[in-house]
Amino acid sequence: MSNNNLMTAKRLLTILALSTTLTLSACATQQDSNQDDSLYQALGAEQGITQIADHFIMEIAYDPRVFDRFADSNVARFREKIIQHFCFIADGPCEYTGDSMVLTHRGMDINAAEFNAVVEDLIDAMDKAGTPISAQNRLLDRLAGLRPEIMGI
Amino acid sequence: MKRCLPGLCIAWVSALSLSAIPATTLADDAQNKRFGKIKGTGGVSAISGAGGGGLTPWATLGSYAEDGQLGGTVFVTQARVDDYQLDVYGGAFTWHNKVEVSYARQDFLIEAAGVHIRQDKVGLRYRLAGDIIYQRLPQITIGVEHGELRDTAVALAVGAEDTRGTDYTLSMAKAWLNGIAHRTTLLNVNLRYSNANQFGILGYGGDDADTKVNLELAGAIFINRSIAVGIEWRQKPDNLSALTEHHAKDLFLAYFPSKRLSLTAAWVDLGDIAGAPDQRGVYFSLQANL
Repeated sequence: MSNNNLMTAKRLLTILALSTTLTLSACATQQDSNQDDSLYQALGAEQGITQIADHFIMEIAYDPRVFDRFADSNVARFREKIIQHFCFIADGPCEYTGDSMVLTHRGMDINAAEFNAVVEDLIDAMDKAGTPISAQNRLLDRLAGLRPEIMGI
Repeated sequence: MKRCLPGLCIAWVSALSLSAIPATTLADDAQNKRFGKIKGTGGVSAISGAGGGGLTPWATLGSYAEDGQLGGTVFVTQARVDDYQLDVYGGAFTWHNKVEVSYARQDFLIEAAGVHIRQDKVGLRYRLAGDIIYQRLPQITIGVEHGELRDTAVALAVGAEDTRGTDYTLSMAKAWLNGIAHRTTLLNVNLRYSNANQFGILGYGGDDADTKVNLELAGAIFINRSIAVGIEWRQKPDNLSALTEHHAKDLFLAYFPSKRLSLTAAWVDLGDIAGAPDQRGVYFSLQANL
């Protein structure tokens, strides 16, 4: 009984946190850009990247290979920062305000299997968000460059 | 799921409430969430049993085992060319994406004569360095491949020196996630030290020994996450004065419906074999990952 209440409360808090996040991230994207944002557009701009992030969170939540690694994460913050990060990496009109990859992953000693698992979760998320394969590969290629800052540290 | 604590699960799952994600799709990739390498990167099974393409092994080791994991593959392959049929079955085990041990039983049928030539292949390969996707340098794998004929009469009749032999391979492979046409693209180059005649089916060595260092090339493009198309070219020695041996090539399509299964279909051109010219035909292979 009390457990149910706790869960309901947690869910409500999360929705509240996510609504706030949405408002905040909307503000964060008010920036002009004159660089080539073709990847950002190919990913579906803000709406597409948001969908990718939401699917990504779901894929991780259902992935027994890596869920433990995210169990202590603040979902709302993770969602906000990952949207910013993807947007930033895709040369979209965003600034990434989160921690560096090294700071985020230091001490976790993430192995190759776990790294690949998250890559696959992202691929599945992009498939579900309807991201074209070409845009997926362009994003993955840029993210792959971050591997040394994420793995085995 | 079973490790997903109820409270945390709610927190993660409630992110869902912001976008309508059909929950039914989540079960679809449940089987893919078991293994450590990305789908397709285990390749398929070569006719020697090693991981790779079909006619040649690649620097990629078989199965989806990553560091700290064990993996295995089993496969059946059939190639049918104008005058011959080759049936192969076998498997491989991989430790930590580092060491691969493979076995294949090849059964070569000379259709006109109804004669079978069976050969056992055992292989051992070691990934020396690199990562196929993430490092600038290619993935480098060295290997030995030992073949032993169980039916020796034909090999001895055509002038082979031996009915058993050992090949040594050095393989280099590199994949570009964002390759040709923004598709994941793979290139593999092997150097093989070998004196095999027709993959060893006609024995090893001969009276007209040819160069022992041979080049093998393969290229593949993943059209999507499940389908790869590519080509292979394998230089072969020509050691027998009585018979001409040509290089082999194929065009293949590999389908990975899941990480459990792969299906490969190919068009193969093996050139002249034992006096029968222009041996071309089809190749099918089915692989299961353990």
